[in-house]
Formats: sequence, C-alpha cells, structure tokens
Amino acid sequence: MRELLNFRRYMLDNGLKILILEDHSLPILSYQVHVKAGSRFERPGITGISHLFEHLMFRGTSKLGPEEFSKIIQSRGGIVNAFTTQDHTTYWENVPSDQLELVIGLEAHRLKELKLDEESFSTEREVVRSERKMRISTTPYGAALEELFSLAYLRHPYRWPIIGWDSDLRKLSLKDCKEYFRLYYAPNNMVIVVCGDVIPEKVLDLICKHYGDLTPQEYFHQTEPEPPQRGERRSVFKKPVELEAIFWAYHVPGIDSDDIFPLLGICECLSGGKSSRLWQKFVRPGKATEVRLVADPPPFWSKDPGLLILYAIEKPGIPISSLENEIEEEMHIFKRKGPTESELEKVKNRLKASFLRSLESLFFRGLVGGIYEIKLDGFEKSWEILEKYESLKAEDMIQVAEKYLHEDNRTCIVVKSISIEENAKFGLIE
Amino acid sequence: MKELALNQIEIHLDSNHKILALPYGKAPLSYFVMLIKAGSEKDPKEKEGLTDLWAESLTLGTKKKSLEELNFQVEKLGGHLEGSAGWDFSLFLISGLEEKGSNLLDILHEIFFEPEFPSQEIEKAKERRLSNLLQLKDDPSKMADRLIWNMAMEGTPYAHPLSGSLSSIRNITLEDIIHFHNEIYPKQRATLFILSKEVKTELLEKAKDTFLNLITNKKDEKESPTTPPTPQSRILIVDRPDLTQSEIRIAFPSLPRKDNRYHILKLMNYLLGGGGFSSRLMERIRSQKGYTYSIRSSFSSLKTYGTLTISTFTPTTTTYATFEEVLLTIEDFIKEGPTEKELEEAKRFFEKSFPLRIETPKQLLNEIILQETYDLKFQNLFDEIERLKKINAEEIKSIAQEILQKQKMQVLVIGNSQRFVKNFETFGNLQLMPYKDVSP
Repeated sequence: MRELLNFRRYMLDNGLKILILEDHSLPILSYQVHVKAGSRFERPGITGISHLFEHLMFRGTSKLGPEEFSKIIQSRGGIVNAFTTQDHTTYWENVPSDQLELVIGLEAHRLKELKLDEESFSTEREVVRSERKMRISTTPYGAALEELFSLAYLRHPYRWPIIGWDSDLRKLSLKDCKEYFRLYYAPNNMVIVVCGDVIPEKVLDLICKHYGDLTPQEYFHQTEPEPPQRGERRSVFKKPVELEAIFWAYHVPGIDSDDIFPLLGICECLSGGKSSRLWQKFVRPGKATEVRLVADPPPFWSKDPGLLILYAIEKPGIPISSLENEIEEEMHIFKRKGPTESELEKVKNRLKASFLRSLESLFFRGLVGGIYEIKLDGFEKSWEILEKYESLKAEDMIQVAEKYLHEDNRTCIVVKSISIEENAKFGLIE
Repeated sequence: MKELALNQIEIHLDSNHKILALPYGKAPLSYFVMLIKAGSEKDPKEKEGLTDLWAESLTLGTKKKSLEELNFQVEKLGGHLEGSAGWDFSLFLISGLEEKGSNLLDILHEIFFEPEFPSQEIEKAKERRLSNLLQLKDDPSKMADRLIWNMAMEGTPYAHPLSGSLSSIRNITLEDIIHFHNEIYPKQRATLFILSKEVKTELLEKAKDTFLNLITNKKDEKESPTTPPTPQSRILIVDRPDLTQSEIRIAFPSLPRKDNRYHILKLMNYLLGGGGFSSRLMERIRSQKGYTYSIRSSFSSLKTYGTLTISTFTPTTTTYATFEEVLLTIEDFIKEGPTEKELEEAKRFFEKSFPLRIETPKQLLNEIILQETYDLKFQNLFDEIERLKKINAEEIKSIAQEILQKQKMQVLVIGNSQRFVKNFETFGNLQLMPYKDVSP
C-alpha cells in the first residue's frame, strides 16, 4: 500500500511545500493546492469567508474573465473544482498529463493576479447564499445539524458552519476578503500535490518557475480550545418534517490521536453495512427508518477535537423517545462486551477494503497526502492507516467507547415535527 | 486511444449469456457484477417497483443463509452486496478484497441459484421502502426529481419511480416476486462482469462452470414497438410556504438510446447545461446573474424513450426571473446554435477526458454496463469519441430545435407559490397543488 502513497516532498525557499507522486498507469494527473484556510481561521462576524473566498478564486484575474479558469481546464479535457472544510481549502484539477504546465501556470497566475471587484463579489455572495439555502434551509435536518454544532462547542470555531451564518454572509465586505487573501493565501501556508503521469524533476522546475517569486506571509492565529463538556446538553428543533429525528454528538479527539481508529471501528461495527448491530436491531425490523453512527475517515477527520455523530430517523408510529432509549441500551451493550471476534474481523476487512477502494483514484491519493501534510505536517502518517485498521483490538474499542461515548460528553438535538401553520410563528429558516 | 487498449476476455456461454473479465485497477480488490437485461420498464401496472424489489429480495437470504448470515459473510470479506433495478436492466454487485474473490463469486452464485425469498424479510423490506418514501418527501429537491420524471415520462413504461410508490409497493406480493424470478428473469439475456487487479485463470474457469446454470430454454417474447407519446406543455406548481428557495425542473421529450443521433444529443446537452461552467445555462444563470449555486441539464436515453431535464434552485424572490432566463438561454441556443469555439472545446473535453472517466474499476464498470445493456460492443467505448469529433454546429442546432420545444415542455416548481404563481399564469395549463397532497 505504501507505494500508492509514496510521495516525494520538496520545499521552496518561500516555504511552499510540494508533494509529488509518480504513477504512469494512465495518461492523467491530479493537481491540488491545499491552503491552510478553513472556517477555524474565521471569527464571529466573518463566518463563511473561507468558503466565499474559494468561490472568488474562480471569478477572474487580470487576464481571465469570470469562470474562464474552469472553462480553459475543461476545454483541455480536465475537471476542476474546490472545496472548503473546517481546517483547509483545496483547489484541484484532474487533467490529461500533457496539461501539466497549463494547470501550474493557471493556478499560480490566479494567486498573483486575482481580480477582486465589487460586482464579482456581490454576484458570488448571492450564489453562496443560494448554496447555503440548498445545504441548510431546504434540507430536512440541515438547520438542526447546524444547531447541534453550535450547542456542542462553546468556544472552538468548529461551532459555526463552514458556509457561514446567513447574517454574516450579508455583512461581509470585499475589504474583508482582500485581507483574508493577503493573510492566508501565502506560499508558506500551502501544500501543492501533483500525482500521476509526471516526471518529478520537471514538475519541480515548473513549480519553482511559477511559484518561486511568491512572498511568504507571517500571521498569528490562536484557536480557542474547547473546554471539556461537563454534562449533557439537549435541545429541541421544531420544523415541518414527515419524520422526526434525533442527533447525538460526542466530543472526540483530533486526527493526531490514535484513538480515532478504534472509534472508526466502533462506527463500522455499529452501523457499517447490513450486518451491523444498529441496522439489524432497528432498521431491519422497521423500528427506525435510519440509524447511523458516523465519523469522517482519515484524511477528512478534523484536525482539532471533533464530533462523532449518531443520528436516528423515526419510523412513523414509533415514538422517538423509545427509540432513543433502545439505542442507548445498545451502546451500553457494546461498552460492556465490545465486538465479537467475528465482528472484529469483519470491521477490519471492511475498513481496509473501503480505504483501498478510494486509493483506486489518483485524486483521492493526492487528497490523502495533501491533507495529512496540511493537518499533521507529514503525509507519512497516512502509511499507518491500513496497519491501524489491521491491528484493531476489541479492548481498545471498549476503552474508547467508555472514554468518549458517555452521556456527560453528549449533545443532543431532537427534531420535532410541526405543521406549516405552527412553523409560521418561528419565521423562515435562512 | 491505442495506449488505453483494455485486455478484456469475453467468454460466450451461449448466444444470450456471457462473461466479460478485465484485469483492472491498482488496489487488490475484485468486483463481480451480474447484469440482467430486464429493468423496471417491465413492472406491471399498479405493481411498480416489482423488479427492484425482486433484485433486493435475492439479497435477503438464501436456502443456506439468513439475511443476517448472508450479509455478515459478505461484509466479513470486506465486501459489499447489492441488488437493484435500473430502467432497462437489473444488476447485482458484489465486491471485496481480491484475496477473497473466489468466496465472493460463491456468494453471488448462491443468491442466484439458491434463493429463499423469505416472506417475513420481504415484508420488512417493503416496510423499509415505505418509510424511505416518507423520508424522501422531506426533501423538496428529491421530490422535484421524482415528480418531473413522472411528468416527462407520462404515457411510457418508464412513468413511475424505480423503487415504486406508496400505493404500488403495498400491492406487490411474494407470489409476484417468485413469478418474476421463475418466469421473467430466466428469459433475459445476462452478462457476468469480473474486474480485478489480476484475473486469475482459476477464477475465470470457476465463473464459467458456476454460471452455466444461467442458460435456460426460455426466451422472452418479442417486444411490440411502442408509440412515443406527444406531450402538451404544462406547469405544475407545488406550494410549500416554509421554503426560502424554489426547486425548478423543466423537461422535454428526447431520444431513445438506439437513435443514431445519440452522440449529437450528448454534445448538445454538454453545451446547453451538462458542461458545468462551460455550459450556456451556468454561464448565464449563475455566473452572470448569480441566481443559483447550480444549474444543469441532463438526459436519459433509454431503450424506447428519452427525456432531457433542466434542474436548478433559486431563492423565492428570483424564481420567475430564473425561469425566464432559462427560456431566453434556450431561445438563443436554438436560434444560433453553438459557436465554433464552444463546439471545438466541447469535443476536446470528451476526447481528452476519456482516461479520467474510466480511471477506477467502478467508473469503468459503469461505462461497460451501459454499453452492454444497449447491446453495444466493447469497442464502442473508443469509437464514440471518434463519432463525437465529426459532429458539426448545424447538427447541434438542429437537434436542439427538435428537442427543446416550448410546446412540449413540462415545468415543475416547488416553493412558496404565493410569491411567484401569478407570473406563471400567462403560460396557461397551470396546476397548483399543496405539498401535502403530493404522494412520493
């Protein structure tokens, strides 16, 4: 497996890190720019600026019109996009390998010559507000999930949504964006990943040529740590839904902790696939429409302590409170006895197969390297993933279940259904 | 495309059954897919969802294993098992660690040739489907997709959801499923696909031996030709006053897969709304107007019928303006056709992005399953690019004029109707419905 993630690492004088991985099986490459700029670097009043800025990076340069960047990449047979997380923003292009120089040139060009004007800013802000409505306001449980995070965290910036509060999006200014760009989009705050049908020396020459003259930037950012939770927090969220639901969130450690692997093992044992305990106990017999315990697998697991989320969607006719009690009981059983030997073998094989399946794509391999480098300053840590899955132990799973999955460490939101008429008194969800 | 030559192995068991194996992929994983060339278009009236439920039923237990044992065994091999129906095909996928390939193949064989059809589990599966439909009703975007499909396909065998509706699922009995298994499925042509980092001879021989049982003497009756419906333009507005954003869908009748202008349609769709930021709709509605985060057109070309659908969402206040802009974009497109630059760039996209579209075994499987479903040769994957390269602007314009006809347009809007319904009245043939009356 190591050969699939065996990057070569370089660093330019201006602090820009570069990871290169050779794979000549197809004439394609994935080019990725990972910027240490996610919602954790924001503050109340400018929430959502990291994601809005990601959009502005496509609105043109001194030479390119709005979205022309994407059009050029597509016209050469490539696919282009970007995404913002709590910890970083990633820009990527998957292209035929003969387009290497083009993508390097274009990515560097927009860092140097980005055009930020009021017209583009206003148009894109409305696009983002529409995206927010799509993700939060019009989905059945999007707004409840937002509330779950803001209730679970008191101080840490993970408490606001990546897309930002609508009230902040309306207030953000072009000046805020320019300052954000100046601080965070500096070479010493980025990792470039190139993987695929490439010659490393040639890639390095081209990156030196196009990025070598960028100036590093010093900034000071201190993230407020989250104090330990001292008892369950519980809230009710009312909206018109066909099916009521509950969401539980447990505080769990960040990606640098070895505890994340047994925690992933628990998720897999309890809700991975149709033989999992929660599916068999609740979904199969029709006690619930859906019950899952979920966490983002590496490399997407959050840098700082994050949340492990259990959600259950009711089956009409079965009260959500009795479902909650039964799920609680199931969690207790797991904590007492852990997985059986057979379950443990299944969990290991499923986790391994799932990770291997994603390594089939160069894009994902690039993400693993780049995001590990951004979050942990070392892609080499990703080499351990398969070994960690292979060496999972039942006692470790029991131990982390006891340590993290208890009531005092839990935040709970119950989504209660109300009529459209009742909903009117609360106003619209923006 | 010579450098991308794939070393597929084809074994014909008889004229209707074959095995297609391909060494592919970087990770030590194996994928087995049984493709049956019968899909939900065969669902009887008022029992819509039967084919899909039959496909799921095979994964609910065998003569030797209960549902729990079957799934446990698959998942213990790092595997994943699913049975589902498409419109013109059904498929059974089992994948897992390559070292367990032989065991995975045994399980696939067992679910086909030793099915149990446990009545209790099938009833539970029906219940789960009913709950899932209620869950779906909570999502206006998914409901919009479902409603516009039914509007666009009205009068064809495709005018229902693949998984069935609240009423049709209740009507399906155990006997219906067993009848389908004994009488309908054995008459269909089938292909077993094997994709693995390495395809060992022993595995291939085993596949050959075990799947010889697929061969039966039963043959499907010849399908009678269907007359395509001639839809009239209509607008359905579904009222949900709690929404701050409207879902908009606009559908047109389009070409079936066998139409030899399929490739022109594919390119036309890319230029209109399938090509992301390179498409006319995205350029005008998102980049210039900022009305939405996303707008796209997509098309389904099935065995006997097709549809092209434009999908977007926009804040309540810009609902009608967005609809108008979409119509203006279509008008311009059918009047002028694409520019030479747009056309060349679109062709280049399809040509150059080909290796990216088949990078992983799963991606390649999706491509070859579609080729096989519509009786196209494996080589068609490569030939298609050559055909696309020969298309000219006049052909694109002509097909756009034929398909994007206002008088056949089906429109669906879900949103806070009070704020925009008056604007739509000028279009005539408008129906307004409260969301609570919509059945998933």
